[in-house]
Amino acid sequence: MNIENTQSQMRKGILEFCILSIIRRGEAYPSDIVEEMRAANLHILEGTLYPLLTRLKNADMLTYRWIESNSGPPRKYFSLTDKGLQFYQELESTWNELANAVNTLAAKKDSLANVPASNNDNL
Amino acid sequence: MKKVININFQGRVIPIEETAYEILQQYIESLRKYFANEEGRDEIINDIEGRIAELFSDRLKKGSTCITDDDVNAVMASIGRPEDFEKADDSPNNGPRTQTTQQSQPTYAYVSSGRGRLFRNADDKIIAGVCSGLANYLGIDPVITRILFVLFFGALFWVYIVLWIIVPSQSVQSNVTKRLYRSPDDKVIGGVCGGLAAYFNTQSWIPRLIFALPLIIGLVSSPFNAWFNDWDFWWGPKVLTGSLGFTLFVTYVILWIAVPVATTSSEKLEMRGERVDLNSIRNTVKEDMESIKSKAQNFGNEVKQTAQELGEKAKGFGQTAGTHAKAFAAEAVPVARRTGSGVSNVIGILFKAFFLFVAGVVAISLFGLLMGLLFGGFVIFPFKDFILEGFWQNALAWLSLLLFLGIPIVALITWLIRRIMGVRSKNHYLGYVFGSLWTIGLVSFIILMGLLARNFKSGSEKEELFSLVQPSKGKLIVDVATSNIRYYGGDWFGIHDEDFPVYGLNQDTLMLNTIRVNVVKSDDSIYRVHAIRFSRGRNPETSLHAAEKIQFDITQKDSVLILPKGFPISKEDKFRNQRVLVVVEVPIGKKIQLDGSLDSYEWFNVNFNSRRGWNASWDDNWERAYSWRNNVEYIMTENGLKRTDRESDDEYDESRKEEGIDLPNDTTKPKTKAEQDAKKPNQYRYKGNESKPQSKPDSSKQEKTTADSEDPTDQNESYPSLIYILSRIAH
Repeated sequence: MNIENTQSQMRKGILEFCILSIIRRGEAYPSDIVEEMRAANLHILEGTLYPLLTRLKNADMLTYRWIESNSGPPRKYFSLTDKGLQFYQELESTWNELANAVNTLAAKKDSLANVPASNNDNL
Repeated sequence: MKKVININFQGRVIPIEETAYEILQQYIESLRKYFANEEGRDEIINDIEGRIAELFSDRLKKGSTCITDDDVNAVMASIGRPEDFEKADDSPNNGPRTQTTQQSQPTYAYVSSGRGRLFRNADDKIIAGVCSGLANYLGIDPVITRILFVLFFGALFWVYIVLWIIVPSQSVQSNVTKRLYRSPDDKVIGGVCGGLAAYFNTQSWIPRLIFALPLIIGLVSSPFNAWFNDWDFWWGPKVLTGSLGFTLFVTYVILWIAVPVATTSSEKLEMRGERVDLNSIRNTVKEDMESIKSKAQNFGNEVKQTAQELGEKAKGFGQTAGTHAKAFAAEAVPVARRTGSGVSNVIGILFKAFFLFVAGVVAISLFGLLMGLLFGGFVIFPFKDFILEGFWQNALAWLSLLLFLGIPIVALITWLIRRIMGVRSKNHYLGYVFGSLWTIGLVSFIILMGLLARNFKSGSEKEELFSLVQPSKGKLIVDVATSNIRYYGGDWFGIHDEDFPVYGLNQDTLMLNTIRVNVVKSDDSIYRVHAIRFSRGRNPETSLHAAEKIQFDITQKDSVLILPKGFPISKEDKFRNQRVLVVVEVPIGKKIQLDGSLDSYEWFNVNFNSRRGWNASWDDNWERAYSWRNNVEYIMTENGLKRTDRESDDEYDESRKEEGIDLPNDTTKPKTKAEQDAKKPNQYRYKGNESKPQSKPDSSKQEKTTADSEDPTDQNESYPSLIYILSRIAH
C-alpha cells in the first residue's frame, strides 16, 4: 500500500466526472479545461486530458466543432451530447452519494462500539 | 550559435532551432509510442500537435524569433511527458508497456496485470514478426524464440503460418532490447568476447577462455605433435586442438565481421541489455523512426513487397529456381494487389509462405552443396601434394578453397547471425568485399583447373613383357599379394570405400590400385604376361617418364602369378592417373584361374583428350580379351574362355550375391562370343575391354565407348578426380 498510489487512484476515478462537469457548462477548449481544473486545485496534464477526451468522444459522450482561432490552428471545442449529459447526471448522483457517504464516515467522531473480547487466549 | 529551420507544423510555418526540432520530434515520437495501442492514437497526437503549434504561435507572437530548446521543454512540461501520464492514467493502452512501468515504479504493477494480447511485432521482425511478438508476449528474448523456430523448422513451420494468419500485426515495443554488439571498451582483439559476455551476462574472461583454450592446448601439445608426426600419421590431438580451434577462430572472425561495434551510448545500453526506457528514449527514437515508416505500410503492400523481394532473392539463387520464382512473383503481384479482405490476406500469407519455403529450400540445398564442396575440398586436401606442383598451383588451390568455397559460407553465416541476433547492418561495403573476394576465388579456381588440365593433357604407355616360367600343370593362377606394409590413413576421415581408387596414403606416398587384368587368347602355345603402364602428363615426354616410373613388380611362385596390391606414387612423381593393365595371354587348351582378391583393383580413368585416346593402340588386345569371374577355373578354347566345372552358369544371381559385386550378365557367360555381348544393353562394366561394337565408326566414338564403359561415376571426362571422390562421398 502506497499513499501516492491510492491518491492517484482516487483522482483517476473522478477525473472524467470533473471534465464532464466543466464541459457541461458550455463548449470548452482543452487548455481551458486544464486551467479551470488547476484553478480548482486539481492538476492535470494536457497529455492526459487529450486521450480522455478522445475516448469520451469515441464513446459518443462528447462532440466537438472546429472554431477558427487567431493564435494558431483551428481549435477543437468540446461539448456534451445527450448521452454525455445523461452519463454526467448518473455520475453526479453517484458522486453525491459517495461524497455524502465519505463525508458522513469521515466526519464521525465517536468511537465504535466495543468489539467483544477476543478468544485468542483460549486458542 | 544555432541553426534555425522552418517546419510546417499543423499547417503553420514555424521557425525552430535544429536542436529544439530534434527534441520535439523525439517527444512526439515518444507520445506516438505511448499511445501506440490507443484506439484514437492519430487523433490524440494530432490534437496534441495542434496544441503545441498553438503554444508555439503564442510564443512567436510574443516576440521570439524562433522556437528554442527552452520553449520546447516548456511545452513538454505543460503537456506532460509519457512517464508523467502514467500517474494519472491507466487506460488499457499501456498493456504491453507495463514492463517499463513495473521496472521504474513497481507500485503500479497491479494496475497493468494484463500483459495484453499476442501481437505480431511489426517493429522488430524478420519474416512476419511472429517470433518477436511471441517473445514479447512471453517476456523472453526474441533470439530464443527465433532459434527455436529455426531449429524445429519442420515441426513449427505450420505453427508459424497459422500464427501469421490469425495473429494481428501491431507495433509492439520490444520488451527486450538487448542486442549483440562488439564492445569497444572491453576488448583485446575485436571486442567480440566482450560483446558476447555482455550479451550472455557473464564475465568477459569466460568467452575469452573458450576462444583461447584450443590455442593454448595447441601450443602445449605442439611439441608432442611434432614428435608423433615423425612416425605416425596421427590425427587425434590435431582434431581436438586443430579443427575445434579452427572452428572457433572462424567463428570469431565471422562475428568480428558480422557484429557492429557499439559506438553510441544507446548502442552500449542495448549491448548491456539495459532497458531503454522512456527517459532515455531519445536515444532510440531515431532508429525507431525507420521501423515506424515501414510499419505504416498496409498489409497488401507488405505482401506485394515481400513477394517481389523474395522473387528477386530467389532469382539470384539459381537459374531454374530463379525462373520459377520469377513466374510466381509475377503471379503473386496481382494477387497481392487484390488483397484487402480477410480471405485474400490468407491467400497472400500463403503465397508469402510459399515463396519463403521455396527460397528456404533453395538456400538450404545451396548451403548443403557448398558444405559438400568444402568438405570435398578438405577430403581431397591430403592428396593435394600429389596433384599440385609448384607454388602457383598451390596458391591457387588455397585461394579457391578459401575464397570460392569459404566466402559464400562465411557470408551466409554472417547473414544468419545478423538476422537472428537482430544486428542492424550499417556497412554495405561488406557485400562488395564478399563479392569481389568470391570472384577472385572463382577466377583462381578456373585458372587452377586449366593448369591441372594441362598436366593431364597427353598420355603415354609403356609395355613390358614379364618373363614367365610356364606353369607346370597347364594352369595359371593369378593372385594379388597380401602386403605386409601397413599404410596409415587408408580410412581417412572415416571414408572407407572399396571402390576408392586410392587404398593407402601417408605423408609422402600415395598407393594407387588402378590396375586391371585382361585375359586374352594366346596366339601360340605359351602363357604370356604383359604389364602395360599408363600415365598422363603435360607432354609425351613427361607422361612417358611418369609411366616408366611406375613400380609394378610381378612375381611368380610355381604356377601362381602374384601381382602387387598397388603401386606407390611419391610426392615428386605426382598423381597423373597412372594405371597398369596386365594382359594375360592364355594358350588354347590351357587353364586359368583368377583370385577374388583382384576385385580390390579399381580402374580409374582420367581422359582429357578424347580425340587421341590413350588406349588406341590397345584396341586389338582389348577386343580379344574375355571377361571372367573370380575363383573359377577356366579353360581357353577356340571360342574363348570356358568354365571347366560346368557348361555355363545360369544361376549367376546366386554367385553375384556371393561376390557382393554387381557383375553384368556377360561375365557370367564366358562362352558367349564378343559379337553377341556387344548387343547386350547393360554390360557397362567390362564391355570396353572385352568387345567393341563390330562396326567401328571412327576412333573418337570408340574412345567414348571405352570411357563410358569404365565406371558410371567417371563419365565426366574432365577432372574426374575431384568429381569422382565427391560422388563417392555423396554415395
